[in-house]
Amino acid sequence: MRTLVDRLIGILVSLRLTVILLAFAILLVFIGTLAQVDEGLYNAQARYFRQWIIFGLDLFGHRIPLILPGGYLIGTMLMLNLAAAHLYRFQLTTKKIGIQIAHAGVILLLAGQLATDMLAHESQIRFIEGQTKGYSESPRNYELAFTSDSGGSGEEVIAIPAHLLANGGDIQNPNLPFTIRVKRFWKNSDTSFRAPMMKSGPPLTPNGVAANFDFHVAAETKNPDEQNVQTALIEIITANGSLGDWVVSGWTSDEEMVNALRQEYAQQLGPDMAQKIADQLTQPQSIEAGGKRFTFALRPARVYFPFSLKLLKATHTVYEGTDIPKDFRSRVQLNNPQTGENREVEISMNHPLRYAGLTFYQYQMDAGQAAQQAGRVPSSALQVVRNPSWLTPYVGCAMVAIGLIIQFMFHLVGFLSKRKTL
Amino acid sequence: MSWNKRVQWAHGVAGLILISALAGCNRDETKVYHVPKDDSAPSQPASAQPEPARPAPAATTEAAPPPDMGSPAPPPDATSLPQIKYQLPPGWKEKQLTEMRVASFGVTGPSGKSADVSVIPLPIVGHDLELVNMWRAQVQLPTTSDPDAAKQAVSVAIGAEQGRLFEFVGNQPMVGKSRQRILVAMLTRGPISWFFKIAGEDTFVSSQKDSFLQFLKSVSFADEEQPQMAAPAPAAAPQGQTETAPSIWTVPSGWQSVPPSQFLLAEFSIPGANGAKAEVNVAAMGGNGGGLLANVNRWRGQIGLGASAENDLPQLAHPLDVPDCKATIVDFTGTDPKTGAPTRLVGAIVLQNDRTWFYKLMGDGKIVAQQKDAFTKFIQSANYANAR
Repeated sequence: MRTLVDRLIGILVSLRLTVILLAFAILLVFIGTLAQVDEGLYNAQARYFRQWIIFGLDLFGHRIPLILPGGYLIGTMLMLNLAAAHLYRFQLTTKKIGIQIAHAGVILLLAGQLATDMLAHESQIRFIEGQTKGYSESPRNYELAFTSDSGGSGEEVIAIPAHLLANGGDIQNPNLPFTIRVKRFWKNSDTSFRAPMMKSGPPLTPNGVAANFDFHVAAETKNPDEQNVQTALIEIITANGSLGDWVVSGWTSDEEMVNALRQEYAQQLGPDMAQKIADQLTQPQSIEAGGKRFTFALRPARVYFPFSLKLLKATHTVYEGTDIPKDFRSRVQLNNPQTGENREVEISMNHPLRYAGLTFYQYQMDAGQAAQQAGRVPSSALQVVRNPSWLTPYVGCAMVAIGLIIQFMFHLVGFLSKRKTL
Repeated sequence: MSWNKRVQWAHGVAGLILISALAGCNRDETKVYHVPKDDSAPSQPASAQPEPARPAPAATTEAAPPPDMGSPAPPPDATSLPQIKYQLPPGWKEKQLTEMRVASFGVTGPSGKSADVSVIPLPIVGHDLELVNMWRAQVQLPTTSDPDAAKQAVSVAIGAEQGRLFEFVGNQPMVGKSRQRILVAMLTRGPISWFFKIAGEDTFVSSQKDSFLQFLKSVSFADEEQPQMAAPAPAAAPQGQTETAPSIWTVPSGWQSVPPSQFLLAEFSIPGANGAKAEVNVAAMGGNGGGLLANVNRWRGQIGLGASAENDLPQLAHPLDVPDCKATIVDFTGTDPKTGAPTRLVGAIVLQNDRTWFYKLMGDGKIVAQQKDAFTKFIQSANYANAR
């Protein structure tokens, strides 16, 4: 037993393991980079780097039956290897203190990166001047949200991540008095208005939005600049029977997608008609079950805050005589009823707002002269980042720098004293 | 190093792995929130869409505009809608106009049963079978492929004109509702068809049938001009270029530009001898517009031909030479389902970047034969850079 543990520890602290892991890391970066050609940035990241073990590779249309360690496994093993070697050979001497600090810094960097990858969350708030929002939305993930009145001025939201729908089958939740049966799920979809001269065939279901709009499966996009708009056909089944089939789609609830469609129809049919079609598309769908009315939608996944932000002013300035942006700036009203805070904050490029464990970066802007000329209300988009380990890279880098300086100083002082004695 | 210390390390290492593995868990579960109600928020005006912020999905043609937050449904601008006059039957109440309605009423009976009445003009002529199937679907009747299904309609007086009245009743109760009945009166005036519909619970709608017929009889159209719901139509027929889309096409001589219907970008009429005529129209859709087969079958349906299979496409569709585009042309001869007259249809589908253009020449066989070359040249003359 002891021999086995000794051998394991021997492997864990060995430099050979470090070299093997670094070799795998190089290979993984190479494969992951090539894979982006076919799979796109986000898919390649998820498949090769945000993965413990990779079963099979797909490169240039060919399947390669290989099992490789994923990014998580390589990173974790490197961290453990370094930590174990560091502890195993640890000597509390002033001569080695610089090496110890530098190694501890590298371990912190590795651990911090892993924690960031697993714990960090990014979302966005988009609002126009005068609009208040108490939540941010994911730029690429959807959720099937059932909203019901919970009395007073509140509502209860049960949000089911869209990827759970992708598996099909039945979904139940103790807070929902019905079962959701997923009959179809499309990772990417397209929609078209069921104008009688354009449509062909019966609707997916005569209920709700599908009565007036067709939804079709579309090829999944791998381009990071494009978005897959998910659509599902679900059946809602109560204890008393089925409440019918319904289509839930990002096309009906994702404001950006609705706007894209409205713009497309506006080009073909004029803005008034496009607005009517968009209004029809965004009509809420609801059912009654268990004595409650549930409104439901497949919408961008939300992160709710215990506070709200109101966009007071969006400012976009350019260098005089050019279109080159000089400054993006959002003045927001932060209102937190729990703490009684109610203050104005200015968020601009490189000057984010850090509040309640979240960081609000200035992300996009539609303001200034261009918006004014087009008659648009100025608007702003903030990138909202929750990263509990955001300090680790700073601390880790500082430790490595201090450790190396100390180590260098020891050598320098030793060398200078030796030369003095010669 | 002591054994105990090594065992401690092993525990520490195992703990680290476990913490790492679990750190990402619990992120993708169903969540329950109690939040304040989403209060109404201001939004961008409909006619002023901002510049793109996030590219549209692969399936969408135009880049997505950005932060237009929320889209409350403003009532339609009544002044932009076609106008009708009518006498309201007793018990009917006017409702706020929504969607494409130019008139909207609610009827509630003493037992609480209600029916919805709507008046909608649409730029549709023909397509009877598709319309019948749309209404059948609304009362959960199965789709029919019987081309005579539309002949079940009976004649009905709509104002001073004669329209057609369709009646559909579901054969089983709908979910959460009782059995539904729909009465639809349809009147085609020029390029526009008017649809007068009452829908609701079977027996209640039956009880309102007389009132509905009385209402139809009372209808008068506010003006005799053809109503237009879409953007203003071009003026008369300039030779050479269209006005709706300046300089997109070179229009052959003899083609008369007419106001395009709602879903069309351009429309032309080609008159012939003895009242014979043919029409050319152009539409555009984002993406592939539904694909070749669906559109070929749509066109075949318009002249009473049966649907074709994918395997038949190579024989039916032929490539057409259009600069920088992939184009396909089809040529069918059938009959006009409305008049029974022999009709020829030449259709072309042009894939231009991420847009699909539909060109159709349809009408009297002789005129279509004479104009086919001009039609082809018209398609080839397109300068899509000038398209809005």
